[in-house]
Amino acid sequence: MGARKHIYHPPTSTAKRYSMNNTLLIIEDNEQNLYMMRFLLERNGFIIIGAENGRKGVEIALSCKPLAILLDIQLPEMDGYAVAAELKKHSELDKVPIIAVTSYAMVGDRENILAAGATGYIEKPINPETFVAEIIEYLPTDWKNSGK
Amino acid sequence: MKTYRSWTFSDCFLLNIAIILFAFFSLGTLSARAEDQMVTVGVYENAPKIFTSESGKPAGIFIDIIENIAKDEGWNLHYVSGTWGEGLDRLGRGEIDIMPDMAYTPDREKIYAFHKVPVLSSWFEVYAPKRKKINSILDLKKKRILVLERSIQQEAFARFSNGFDLNCSLISTSDYKTMFEMVAKGEADFAVTNRFYGMMHAEKYGLENTNILFEPSDLFFAAHKSDSKHLLKAIDRHLDNLKKNPQSLYYASMKRWTSEQVRFKMPLWVDIAGFAGVGFLIMSLVVSAILKHQVKVRTQELQQENTERQVAQQRFMDIIEFLPDATFVVDQDKQVIAWNKGCEAMTGVKKEMMLGRKDYAYAEPFYGERRPTLLDLLAQPAPDVEATYTYVKRKDLKVYAECFVPQLRGGQGAYLWGVASSLYGQNGHQCGAIETIRDVTEEKLMEEALRKSEREYRELVMLANSIILRWSPEGQVTFLNEFGQRFFGYSAKEIIGQNLIGTLVSESESDGRDLRTLLKEISGDPVKFERNINENIRRNGERVWIDWTNKIVLDEQGGIKEILSIGSDITVRRHAEQQVHKLNDELQRHMDTLEQHVAERTAELAAMNEEQRAILESASTGIVLLRDRIIVRCNCKLEEIAGYAPGELIGKSTRIWYPDEETFVTNGKIVYSHMAKGETYRQEQQMARKDGSLFWVRLSLCAFDKNAPFKGAVGIIEDITERREAAEKLRKALEAAQAADRIKSAFLATMSHELRTPLNSIIGFTGIMLQGLAGPLNAEQQKQMTMVQNSSRHLLSLINDVLDISKIEAGQLVLTCTSFDLHTSIEKMTKLVSPLAEKKGIELQIDLPDTLAMIATDQRRLEQVILNLLNNAIKFTERGHVDISYRKENNYYLLSFSDTGIGIHGEDLPDLFQPFHQIDTGLARKREGTGLGLSISKKILDIMGGSIEVESQWGQGSTFTIRLPQQQKGTV
Repeated sequence: MGARKHIYHPPTSTAKRYSMNNTLLIIEDNEQNLYMMRFLLERNGFIIIGAENGRKGVEIALSCKPLAILLDIQLPEMDGYAVAAELKKHSELDKVPIIAVTSYAMVGDRENILAAGATGYIEKPINPETFVAEIIEYLPTDWKNSGK
Repeated sequence: MKTYRSWTFSDCFLLNIAIILFAFFSLGTLSARAEDQMVTVGVYENAPKIFTSESGKPAGIFIDIIENIAKDEGWNLHYVSGTWGEGLDRLGRGEIDIMPDMAYTPDREKIYAFHKVPVLSSWFEVYAPKRKKINSILDLKKKRILVLERSIQQEAFARFSNGFDLNCSLISTSDYKTMFEMVAKGEADFAVTNRFYGMMHAEKYGLENTNILFEPSDLFFAAHKSDSKHLLKAIDRHLDNLKKNPQSLYYASMKRWTSEQVRFKMPLWVDIAGFAGVGFLIMSLVVSAILKHQVKVRTQELQQENTERQVAQQRFMDIIEFLPDATFVVDQDKQVIAWNKGCEAMTGVKKEMMLGRKDYAYAEPFYGERRPTLLDLLAQPAPDVEATYTYVKRKDLKVYAECFVPQLRGGQGAYLWGVASSLYGQNGHQCGAIETIRDVTEEKLMEEALRKSEREYRELVMLANSIILRWSPEGQVTFLNEFGQRFFGYSAKEIIGQNLIGTLVSESESDGRDLRTLLKEISGDPVKFERNINENIRRNGERVWIDWTNKIVLDEQGGIKEILSIGSDITVRRHAEQQVHKLNDELQRHMDTLEQHVAERTAELAAMNEEQRAILESASTGIVLLRDRIIVRCNCKLEEIAGYAPGELIGKSTRIWYPDEETFVTNGKIVYSHMAKGETYRQEQQMARKDGSLFWVRLSLCAFDKNAPFKGAVGIIEDITERREAAEKLRKALEAAQAADRIKSAFLATMSHELRTPLNSIIGFTGIMLQGLAGPLNAEQQKQMTMVQNSSRHLLSLINDVLDISKIEAGQLVLTCTSFDLHTSIEKMTKLVSPLAEKKGIELQIDLPDTLAMIATDQRRLEQVILNLLNNAIKFTERGHVDISYRKENNYYLLSFSDTGIGIHGEDLPDLFQPFHQIDTGLARKREGTGLGLSISKKILDIMGGSIEVESQWGQGSTFTIRLPQQQKGTV
């Protein structure tokens, strides 16, 4: 099951910044969740790159410098904590927000993830009505201002 | 080599010698008669020549000689004492056979018979008190001079004093002793004595010899005129032999009687020679005097002048030869002309080797090298000599010295006393020198020994830590040493001469013994009281006990002169002894009582012992007594737990309880170091049973005496095998439970994650579809998708509730407190449930005051509780209204949620807040829900420090009231 099998909706008027870096990297091993997030975000004009494990995610982040990184925590090969820590070592990614999107909702999970270097935290299951707005909230200020 | 003929002495000197010797040759032939074997000898007092010794026997040089002769001849000597005059009379009357010490005179020869070989040569000297300066005979003018009655000196002095017109008053005195005493007292000015007496006694009377000498004479034994030829011949024969041998009694006697006192005296002829000035005049007179009385002989001598000269020389040499001291003479060229037997004896160098040698050859035999000796110092000025040789003294024209010569006495060394004097010729020029040397080593050593012994005695007495007391038989203290003075508290001045009674001794002792009698008994028989303990008294009245040792000191008559008492203070000891006696008596008196006590005590002890045994044996733990890690006693429980038979452990080392030697030693060190500090040592350790198997015991050990833990310790040994096993089981169970808990937590975390992941898809895509993002839905699709959405939301809330209750029960729920307005939260939650209420037609009534209601607690959790209560109220109410109100009570907020619903049965109220409890549990349950809501709410409120209460009546609705502290505990 791939993204292309689903009906693709063209971007709406909210995603209007083609001249800007609109690429989001989603590191997520669950195919359906990746699809759902890609569906919601692409509809809003973002370009989505998916990575199905942590190691690959780090490689892509370094090569394409996305606008933001959406990071699952439970991942094969390299978990979300390790990915966040690794990304933090690279100063060129300093301004790239890392937003954890995870099912880890036990006490202390949020704090641990933020401590590991994440900028934001969104608990699964996500609310499709508010998800895109929540992501945009975490994006860099200069990006948000450019469209006004 | 020069001979005696080359001797160039002045005539004067030879003449002097000739005079001295003259008398020797002029003696006529005398006859003596020995009467059988009995020879009577007159004795008078003229020490050291002849005198009566202290023991009453005759003594002196003459006596030594006559006794020596008598021994050989078989004479039986009989002495008759008297004055000199009496002796002469007795000899004249024939009452005695021999009178010794008689100078030859022609007049005497008419009365008495003389033998030929002279016994001694003597002359007379004038003695004066030391302070009087007598330089010449003229100083004797008009003085009172004492002479011995009927002696030749009287006559001779009278003669030569007349020649000088001295007008002396001569006083005849019976003996020399009286003469010296009179001069010493000032009753006369001078005394004339022979040289022997003078040199021996003058010092004692403070007199000294003047430079006036006269009438040299030879002394003989005189015999009664008739028939004494035999006697005199025998004397001559012996004397001849005695004088030839330097080791003979003759020289021994001379030395014995004269040497001690004449150490500082010059030999006679040196004095004469040194006396050149005044002596010349005197001698001239003497010569003329003698010549006058020797007319007959002189005529003959004049004819033989040359011969005489030679003979005189020879005589002189003979005199030197036999002088007891080592003597040698040099002429003006420092060439040795005389080297006497004394020199030979002292140095071992023979006369023949020395005569005629010069260049300091004479020093070699004494000092081992050629060097100046005393006589070489004579020519030098006195200050120079004394500055160079500190041990050399110069007096008048003589030089004295005492020195230690290491080469002599076969290498042992010897102290030598030497004197040197120049010899002067008639013309006053120096014609040679003479040096006399005496070995004074013995005297030196004796003197040193005496000094030492005297010093030691003095120190002993003065420094002794004993009381040294001397007292007369009458009881008078004559001496008390320093220690004694300090001890009794008297100074020497205060105590010497005092009677013992009333000073050191009281009249009676404290217990009544009469000390007066005791003193009398001691002085009466000191031997019996050689050891005596009695009470004494100090000056301050303190009574002390002294242990005395008493010795008698006898006087010359053999009577008791003094008693010497040496005492030690034994007061302390005595008191201690008395104390001991007293205690002994008391002890004796209490003996019976004591024995009775002992018997009682023994019985008590036996009973105690039995009690102890019973305690030991009934104890449920092992008890052991140890000495040196050996078991001396133990109870049967110990034997039982260690697997031994009764009594089997006694005498065994505790080593048997340890699996190996190392553990035994190491453990012993630890245990005993604790016990040495006085601690009770407690330890759980493994112990070996008899069969070697190990088991756990709790050991408590305590020493009876921490200073000697090895001497005795008691140990309590408790078998704790079972308890340990139980504890071990418990520990394992706890570990398992903890492990299970960890697994449960991990399970919950996984569950949470794994359940949410699929729910994420379901809820997400349902929402997308309902939003129409994936295309439009028809009415039926819309309806069914809404059902999926509701079910999935319910599933999510169920999962959240289950996780919440798990977290709470695991104690993992942590509040995150902030300060916020309670109104806002209530309104927010009301807004959330209002759609549902509207749908059911239920009115929500909120009654809140206008003021802010700030509260500090976990906002999310509080809102969860409010939401739960609102949901419940709406869920269980079909019609009517739900009221929300709150009020503040002290520091608590009270929130009430009232509904008009179905209410709760009374019997259901107690279980209302239990988990998984929904009152309507039937299959046809009308209301969905986990039944966890109230349980979670209650637990959250508990954690917040609040509470929840319910009031309800079936069919009448319910009111839930929560009570919240305004300030969460631990927050500001």
